[in-house]
Amino acid sequence: MPLLEVERVSKDFGGVRAVHDVSFTLEEGELLGIMGPNGSGKTTLFNLIAGALVPDGGRIRLAGQDIAGLAPHRICARGVARTFQLVRPFAGLSALENVLVGRLYGRARGRAAGAVAEAERLLALVGLEDRAHEPAARLTFVDKKRLELARALATSPALLLLDEFLAGLNPAETASAMALVRRLVGEGITVLMVEHIVWALLDLSRRVLVLSAGEKIADGPPAAVAADPAVVDVYLGGAGGARARA
Amino acid sequence: MRRLGARRERGWAAAILGALALLAFLPLAVQRDDVLNFVFVTLLSITLAQSWNVVAGYAGQVNLGHAAFFGLGALTARTLWIGGTPLAPALAAGALVATAFALLIGVAAFRLRGAYFAIGTLALGEILRTTVSNVLPEISTLPTAAIATYRLSQRYYLALALAALSVVAVALLSASRLGLGMQALREDEEAAEAAGVGALRLKLTALALSTALAGLAGGLFAYYHISYYPSHAFSPSWTFDALLMTFIGGVGTLHGPVLGAVLYVFLKEYLALRWVDFHLLIFGALFVVIVLLLPGGLVQAAARARRLLAR
Repeated sequence: MPLLEVERVSKDFGGVRAVHDVSFTLEEGELLGIMGPNGSGKTTLFNLIAGALVPDGGRIRLAGQDIAGLAPHRICARGVARTFQLVRPFAGLSALENVLVGRLYGRARGRAAGAVAEAERLLALVGLEDRAHEPAARLTFVDKKRLELARALATSPALLLLDEFLAGLNPAETASAMALVRRLVGEGITVLMVEHIVWALLDLSRRVLVLSAGEKIADGPPAAVAADPAVVDVYLGGAGGARARA
Repeated sequence: MRRLGARRERGWAAAILGALALLAFLPLAVQRDDVLNFVFVTLLSITLAQSWNVVAGYAGQVNLGHAAFFGLGALTARTLWIGGTPLAPALAAGALVATAFALLIGVAAFRLRGAYFAIGTLALGEILRTTVSNVLPEISTLPTAAIATYRLSQRYYLALALAALSVVAVALLSASRLGLGMQALREDEEAAEAAGVGALRLKLTALALSTALAGLAGGLFAYYHISYYPSHAFSPSWTFDALLMTFIGGVGTLHGPVLGAVLYVFLKEYLALRWVDFHLLIFGALFVVIVLLLPGGLVQAAARARRLLAR
């Protein structure tokens, strides 16, 4: 059984079709990249899976169970964690407290004993062990991204949703972030990542899904997707792309 | 659970409880009613400010209808007590009625967010005040027998116990999983939900704890005053006093509301003596200055001063 099944999901915002009839599945341990131009519905799709938005139609199943329309905290309790495109750490809390929230309220909530040690381990994993007692507001942008990842991991997710995790990183930071994502997949976490940095996405994932104007236009291995005329049109704005968007 | 910041909070809790313990000897040392009345008002204010701090400071839900719960506690406790119920159950019933009403209202009110929640609760408090002043327009006075046996020291010790209770409650909250979840909610509700925090349940828990303390404070008020108009306990000034004290001291901290209450009551007594109603204007200006320049109140000012001196 696939870990995640998205079946004919749609979401409109007052007549604007943000996501239309999108279906795909994600196997356990897989890393699936989602790409597409701005406004193609990537973040909306994330919000639908994480429960921040309720789909107008379609089904979303996690390990066979329907999760569409559940509150975000219930979906988190079932093992879905996310980061935000625009970072949203708890600014007034320390880095350690940020991660503790995930630990004490996420899927691992029953295990209060050792929560601090586990939070410290995750801070070290993302390279923030020296900033544990710093208020999150005082971290740099990159550190805030790392903190969000540690907070998401603290919930003990089966499925991790990364929304433009690499955006705004310099080349060295991008490389270490990519290594970190590979390591998480190696540890058995299934990852769904939206990314604008196409080369990184093609490098990381064995499978890529492309959205355009809310619809899925390609789904397959990176090489095949990159060579797909529909995808090339959307990205390079050829005649076909113009037609597809019209 | 080991948590950072928890040690300093424990230090403050110990200091405040120590000070309250010392105040227990005050009626033995000083027999002046004006002094005891002044400290009584301060202690009542600490309880009230701390109760508001739970829902607004920790959970981030600015409740502007707080007076409604203070008033309900006062009304219930006073009615039962004058009717012959012993004081302790009467006070407990006051807290219970306040909390029950809060939960009933909370489910609806928490559909509103941010400023809308604040405005909604403000309207709620005013509706209740108007209703009470219409239904119970007569002044409520203690029976002669109760006035004959009235002892200020009893009121004083009850105030002391409730202030200590409120400090202990907030100290425990701030070091708990529950308190951490509330603070996450305050910082970013959507991100907190995504990290597994059930927002509505936690907001209701914060409101229940907050209004139980406010109901107890209301009961104390009802026990203290020989005569007052029932609607006075529903006056929005209870809300705004609590808000000002909490903001002056430091919203969302354990010691902020205590420091704020002490300073506020002291200043109010002093300024009201000198300038009568002019003190309201001064507090208004002080509030604006604090929100603009020092959103963390005295606690933040002290932290800044420490950092400056450490350089």
